[in-house]
Amino acid sequence: MKQLNNMKVYQYHKYIIIMVLLFGTSVCTINAQDSAVSKTELSVSYFLPANKVPYLEVSTKKKVGRKFEPVKNIPVSVYLSEAEPTNLLGKVTTDASGKGRIGIPASFKNTWDSLNEFKFIAQSDSSAGQESLSADITIKKAILTVDTTSADGTRMVTAQLKEKSGNDWVAIKNIDMKLGIKRMLGNLSVGDEATYTSDSTGVSSAEFKRDSLPGDQKGNIILVAEVDDNDTYGNLVTEKNVNWGAAVKPPKNFFAQRTLWSTRFETPIWLLIVAYSIGIGVWCVIFYLIWQIVKIKRLGANA
Amino acid sequence: MENLKNLSAEKITNDLLPQKFGRRGMIWTASLIVICCIGAFAYIKQLREGLIVTNMGDYVSWGIYISNFVFFVAVSLVGSLITAIFRLSGVPWRTPLTRIAEIIAVSNITFAALIIIVDMGRPERLYFLFTHGRIQSPILWDVIVITTYFFLSLLLLYITLIPDIRMMISLKDKLGKPFSKLYHWLASFWQGTAAQEKIRDRAITILCITVIPVAFCIHTVTSWLFATTYRPGWDSSNFGAYFVSGAFLVGAGAVVVAMYVFRRVYKLENYITETHFDKMGKLTVMLALLYLYFNVNEFLVPAFKMKKEEKDYLSGLFTGDFAPMFWFAILIGMIIPILVLLFKKGRKPKPMFIVGVMVVVGAWFKRYLIVTPTLLHPFLPKYDAPARFNHYFPSWEEWAITIGSMAGVLLIITFFARVFPVISIYKTLEDKNALTKQHETTEQYESVPVS
Repeated sequence: MKQLNNMKVYQYHKYIIIMVLLFGTSVCTINAQDSAVSKTELSVSYFLPANKVPYLEVSTKKKVGRKFEPVKNIPVSVYLSEAEPTNLLGKVTTDASGKGRIGIPASFKNTWDSLNEFKFIAQSDSSAGQESLSADITIKKAILTVDTTSADGTRMVTAQLKEKSGNDWVAIKNIDMKLGIKRMLGNLSVGDEATYTSDSTGVSSAEFKRDSLPGDQKGNIILVAEVDDNDTYGNLVTEKNVNWGAAVKPPKNFFAQRTLWSTRFETPIWLLIVAYSIGIGVWCVIFYLIWQIVKIKRLGANA
Repeated sequence: MENLKNLSAEKITNDLLPQKFGRRGMIWTASLIVICCIGAFAYIKQLREGLIVTNMGDYVSWGIYISNFVFFVAVSLVGSLITAIFRLSGVPWRTPLTRIAEIIAVSNITFAALIIIVDMGRPERLYFLFTHGRIQSPILWDVIVITTYFFLSLLLLYITLIPDIRMMISLKDKLGKPFSKLYHWLASFWQGTAAQEKIRDRAITILCITVIPVAFCIHTVTSWLFATTYRPGWDSSNFGAYFVSGAFLVGAGAVVVAMYVFRRVYKLENYITETHFDKMGKLTVMLALLYLYFNVNEFLVPAFKMKKEEKDYLSGLFTGDFAPMFWFAILIGMIIPILVLLFKKGRKPKPMFIVGVMVVVGAWFKRYLIVTPTLLHPFLPKYDAPARFNHYFPSWEEWAITIGSMAGVLLIITFFARVFPVISIYKTLEDKNALTKQHETTEQYESVPVS
């Protein structure tokens, strides 16, 4: 009976020991993750703003604990097709945000025009305290256009993505795009969805549902179509000005009123009276007291 | 006070005359000068390279400089508390404290003005404030009121000093030559005639009446620099009173520290007595309770509502990145001083000195907490900002300038104590005469047989 009890206690303790070990291992793993610093990672991204001059952005980061931190001052060379000196697009050193930007030099125009697919290779040589890094991406040449249509009071925003195939531009389907309106702190989607997918004609369309959105003084707003971080086509952005916003006109003589936010020439009268009365009152006392000291001096001289 | 009765006029004069620096005094002064020079070097670097040498950015655009400015303004308020309020309310034990309070006020307000110029980055543009200043802006009010308070404090210090300086002119043989020209220039005209006395007394009374509202204005306007801005932590109608009560507390703490140091260094036990510490202790505990009350209002009410816009800011203070500093400031600056000073033993000179230091240190961190966490939590989302803008820790240049400015304040007080008496000789002798007369009258009264 006692032996049976001992067995039960042993089994009971066994589970506790396993639990403790598991918990300990988890804690150690979490702590190790928190304090672990991984090696630096290099990546390269392709950007084509407004179908004009593309550029490349290199990014360096490393995992510290559970999050990525940017790594600055990493010199990176970027090549087209192969890592040969003749194919060098440029060199850049990453900034405080771990990023660096390189434009495509004009000397590569002919090569650029002759290719429909590009391979970009980013390399950083080993230096003091830093091992060599490498990254590459392959991008297909593409263009993104944005347009608008209006029918029966419904405004539509459409964007079309095409890739270069041979000498032709071919529509691309099933690509997620963002259709938005440029605002001060970011882009506001034109409709209810965050992204819109292109159909067989390469077109994504969305109904414009942001009526009366404040625009400039003439009611202009900027529509933005965006392909964001696509593995095949990179990042493409294009914009279009439309007169679909509400005209915002500053009130006449806004700064000519006597208000607290006006210029110094338009100070409210009550404030002028209060401020100057206090100031002049106190400074009169100060000058009076200085005059009293002068009087004490004169009395001393005459004594 | 009663001690004075038994002291001769000669002893009082000898005890209170300024003394030459000893070895410790020289080391102290030299250390302060070195720290000031390091601060000046850092400031020259900032002038050459611009505010880029600081760690301030788009969000924390008021860093340690403005925290330090608010701290100096707060300490300077003590001049009005001790001198003006005590005098007007007829506090009989004020004599040994008034001069100390006045010089603390002058030295602190001087550096408060200077640190604003440091924060500007381009000092040559200071005059723009006068040529292009908008009277609608609290910043202009602050500049005006600081200048006004500086002149009032200087006048208060000077007018009360005149008879003492005159006395020192007549004691040239004892004091030696070093400052005799300065003494002559400042007070050779003082003859102590009844007419001069009358004008001087009236001038001091007018000054005391004027300096109180100006002192309240100086810190209220400083609080409005923050409170007129719509930001978490600053958007409060409580701010003026909150700042003024805090200023009185830190000022009282600074006076207690100075009292203890001067008492020890210049052996002034007969003049700055345990009674003075006891009374200042009671005053400090009252001020600490008052400031604690305003702190409860300032934090408990927003924490109870926990509005979305203020949540991050308040959580940062209570349990987040700023929590250690926040609770340190509350405990060191208020709770522990209250607990210590409630007991009579806690109001003895040494515990009072420690409490005074705690109050001053806690108050400095409190000002840092008023400025920085709010700036790190703007209402508008941070957009396209570098990661370093999410944190603020002052650069070595900022620390050097800040510590240099503190050394500057102490240096002014040190030089003042070398040149002028830290306790009014004239007023102490007057107090002694009054006490002796009172004693004689009491004796005469008691000797009259009861019929």
